Amino acid sequence: MERIETDAIIIGGGATGCGIARDFALRGVDCVLIEKHDFAAGTTGRNHGLLHSGARYAVKDESSARECIAENIILKKIARHCIEDTGGLFVTLPGDDPAYHDLLLAGCRKTGIAARDIGRKEALAREPNLNPEITAAIAVPDATIDPFRLASSNILDAVERGARVRTHCEVTGIILSGTAAAGIRCRDRKSGQRLEVHGRVIVNASGVWGQEICRLAGIELLMFPSKGSMVILDYRINSLVINRCRKPGDGDILVPGDTVSLIGTTSEKIPYESIHDLEVTPDEIQALLRDGEKLVPNLSRTRVLRAFCGVRPLVATGKGATGRDISRGIVLVDHKERDGLDNFITIAGGKLMTYRLMAEQATDLACRKLGVTAKCRTHLLPLPGSERFKVPIRRRANFGESVIESTYYRHGTRAGDILAGPGADESLICECEMVTAREVAYAIRHLQAADIVDLRRRTRIGMGPCQGLLCAYRCAGAFMDVKGVDGSEATRMLIDFLEERWKGIRPVLWGDTLREAEFAYWICEGTFGLGKIVAKGAGKGEGVVIEEEYK
Amino acid sequence: MNESHDYDCLIIGGGLAGLTCGLACLEAGLSCAVVSSGMSALHFSSGSIDLLGYNADRTLATSPVDALPGFIEKNPDHPYARCGAETIMEAMAFFGRELEAQSAPMYANGRENHFHITAMGTLKPTFLSPASVFTREIRAAFEKRPAIAILDVKGFRDFHPGLAAANLRKNKLFADCPITCGEIELPGQTPAAGGARDMRSVDVARILDATTNLEAVAGAITAAAGRADIVALPAFLGLNRYQEILAGLRRATGRLIYEIPTLPPSILGMRLDQALKSRFAALGGVFIARDTVDAGRIEDNQVISVHTTGQKDDIRAACYVLASGSFFSKGLVSRYDRMFEPVFDCRLDTPPDGRSLSGAAFLSPESHAFIRAGVITDGQLNPQTADGRTIANLFCAGAVLAGYNPVIEGCGGGVAIATGYAAAKAIRARLHPPQPTATAGPQ
Repeated sequence: MERIETDAIIIGGGATGCGIARDFALRGVDCVLIEKHDFAAGTTGRNHGLLHSGARYAVKDESSARECIAENIILKKIARHCIEDTGGLFVTLPGDDPAYHDLLLAGCRKTGIAARDIGRKEALAREPNLNPEITAAIAVPDATIDPFRLASSNILDAVERGARVRTHCEVTGIILSGTAAAGIRCRDRKSGQRLEVHGRVIVNASGVWGQEICRLAGIELLMFPSKGSMVILDYRINSLVINRCRKPGDGDILVPGDTVSLIGTTSEKIPYESIHDLEVTPDEIQALLRDGEKLVPNLSRTRVLRAFCGVRPLVATGKGATGRDISRGIVLVDHKERDGLDNFITIAGGKLMTYRLMAEQATDLACRKLGVTAKCRTHLLPLPGSERFKVPIRRRANFGESVIESTYYRHGTRAGDILAGPGADESLICECEMVTAREVAYAIRHLQAADIVDLRRRTRIGMGPCQGLLCAYRCAGAFMDVKGVDGSEATRMLIDFLEERWKGIRPVLWGDTLREAEFAYWICEGTFGLGKIVAKGAGKGEGVVIEEEYK
Repeated sequence: MNESHDYDCLIIGGGLAGLTCGLACLEAGLSCAVVSSGMSALHFSSGSIDLLGYNADRTLATSPVDALPGFIEKNPDHPYARCGAETIMEAMAFFGRELEAQSAPMYANGRENHFHITAMGTLKPTFLSPASVFTREIRAAFEKRPAIAILDVKGFRDFHPGLAAANLRKNKLFADCPITCGEIELPGQTPAAGGARDMRSVDVARILDATTNLEAVAGAITAAAGRADIVALPAFLGLNRYQEILAGLRRATGRLIYEIPTLPPSILGMRLDQALKSRFAALGGVFIARDTVDAGRIEDNQVISVHTTGQKDDIRAACYVLASGSFFSKGLVSRYDRMFEPVFDCRLDTPPDGRSLSGAAFLSPESHAFIRAGVITDGQLNPQTADGRTIANLFCAGAVLAGYNPVIEGCGGGVAIATGYAAAKAIRARLHPPQPTATAGPQ
């Protein structure tokens, strides 16, 4: 059995865990991060991608608002290539309480958020698709952030500074030594191999799954998951973030992101057992579309691409299962204080917006336990790809402007290295998102993309209008070429990708999305006969015909 | 044809069903036009014609001819039940003859299914295949457990031999066949800068159509195939000269070369599409391309005329055929809250709600309910208006029909051909009521 020794162990590869790995690496602490699926595959990647200005909290939750605007300013400096500085609006619709508009302005003033009352006319000039019926509008420094890119570049930095990461690797047990945690037992989900990681401190950054991790350590830390659903539209129908200026509710935000727009979100308390298997319901979709339409009327004529949902982790800080003392902010637990288990920390709660701050707080506490005095620098040093503003990329004959721009958009200053990279040709693999074979090879080699679903998060393969079919087949080939994966494994990856994609498409199966699905189904069954690989048992294909004829 | 209309028969949709129906109408001496809005589903098909791959109990059907009566009995609302086993086989024979007349014959043994190999190395039961995909000769060669080479062309975007090889090796039929992969360069082609795979199947087909140096291509194949007796290439061996190219390469390499269907655009499907359209034109059919029928006028349970987006005047015919395909081809339209047939608003059979449209897994033996959605017809293939009145001079054919799943039943091509042919038969009976018994088609 493989055994790894390190100083700090991080469980969970969401934004927070990835941020902690980077923070440790910057402080010179040797660390290992273990993630059950992939970076940003859980709550982080099921987020609407809003870089909060804090205005949404300015009326009700002053400290969250202050945290948000502070992090907003930091992230715009260190994570440039993950962020689009779109700006945002809070618009009042007829029938909405006009008093909220004034409350929001006052709240923003108080918490230091640069909000400006711009009036209906200017709002419509900036965002022509807006509902012309709006009565008032406030401009706020909202922006959009790509959570996949954010997690990935944190990891890239950590790994380049010596951190070790294992994805698709599940924690099966906590190794105890007396009254302290001393390591973790894991199982590689792809190979089935077991491994142990021994370390001097363990940081549980597994979000809503943290309850299960704590249980492995014999600790009761209750989570109260809340489900949030979102719908993605095929076009970018707005250029600014549009918030509805009223008390927070369902369907009150429209976020542009890359080539699409997203309507969010619902909020529903769910039983803890159901977090592993969630689906978006028709009612949720209907509610989101109905509310989204009030903000942007032409939304009803826009193709819906997919729907997905995430789980917000709300933590019960006290002991006991009453569900009182639920915190909505950042929760940092030193389990020595709380449960008498040393060298074990849980960081939970919070939001994507405050991932860096959460990482800083968790790393500070872990470093105190390790006796490390180095200070946090994650707010000062830009992430890889964001070192400086645009660097010119040497034009190459074969790459059109759109390929160069898209690669730059996704990888910032690393784009030049990618396009000049070794070991792959200059082909375009995904026409929807302008992803080249070079970018795919880079993601497989340097960004820990272990399968085609991971590639989706690294490169946006399969996130465009076609939702990925031809590109997925080409990626299966790329894994064979770049990583030496065998054909059976590559076939499995292709099927897994198609099934993953299906989960998001299924709830919105109408219009062009249904047409696209029908086309994909014909290709997969008619041209590829993939059902024959999936199907079990006699009479499902597999050459029985020819056998019959040979007798 | 009389003065009051432009054609005896107007067909909406120029795919497999519409063209088969058109050919059968023309052969019966009727005047006929097809309105086609664009590329038909043939452009992304395997190029083989599935008649009935699986029995009603989902086991493989060795012989569709034997399986059809039982299948029809178990599936009384299937389009095949509207045709009857006899007409279905008559239609297949007719289709085969039409392609032979166009010098584009397909392989069939008349009774039993054969298999074709997919790009992922799986096998699919089918009834008719292009001669480059399956023949008796190919079958005989496979019986000898030969060495197989699966080759790709450098710069081609959409084929990975390794994927096909891996799954083919897992098939017990090929367990004893050594399978290798390789790549050839097309002679005279400067590879794209950076070795980009920037060619699609059509690009390769055009290069081969234009090549004067088949010997060099054959030399490259021989070198890449090593000791293999059988060489599989993606289906891009020409669009126009394909028979000559295939024969030439087989001769020059001494290997048995065959084609594997590729990702779209499907050259095999395009060859079939071209052959059917050429035959339709040769028989005097009018093919109105790039136009869309968007509305029909119905009076007294009859279609009086149809309107197209591209022409000012309505088109009038004695009979009409709706062969407009399913959702992808826009023969059926789905909206958030309903589904409808956009030209005549025919009555549909659809799943009760959005939830039941599809299965939880994308690929599974259960398939998806939306595939079965479509227009309801009677035994004559006549549909009904939304309020339930039968439209006597409108006939439906192909994927617009409800009640079948071409994928899990393995019958997509067969239903298109059989219903297209049966619609033509019904039209002939309507316009020229039988004196003595009529037989189908020309002899």
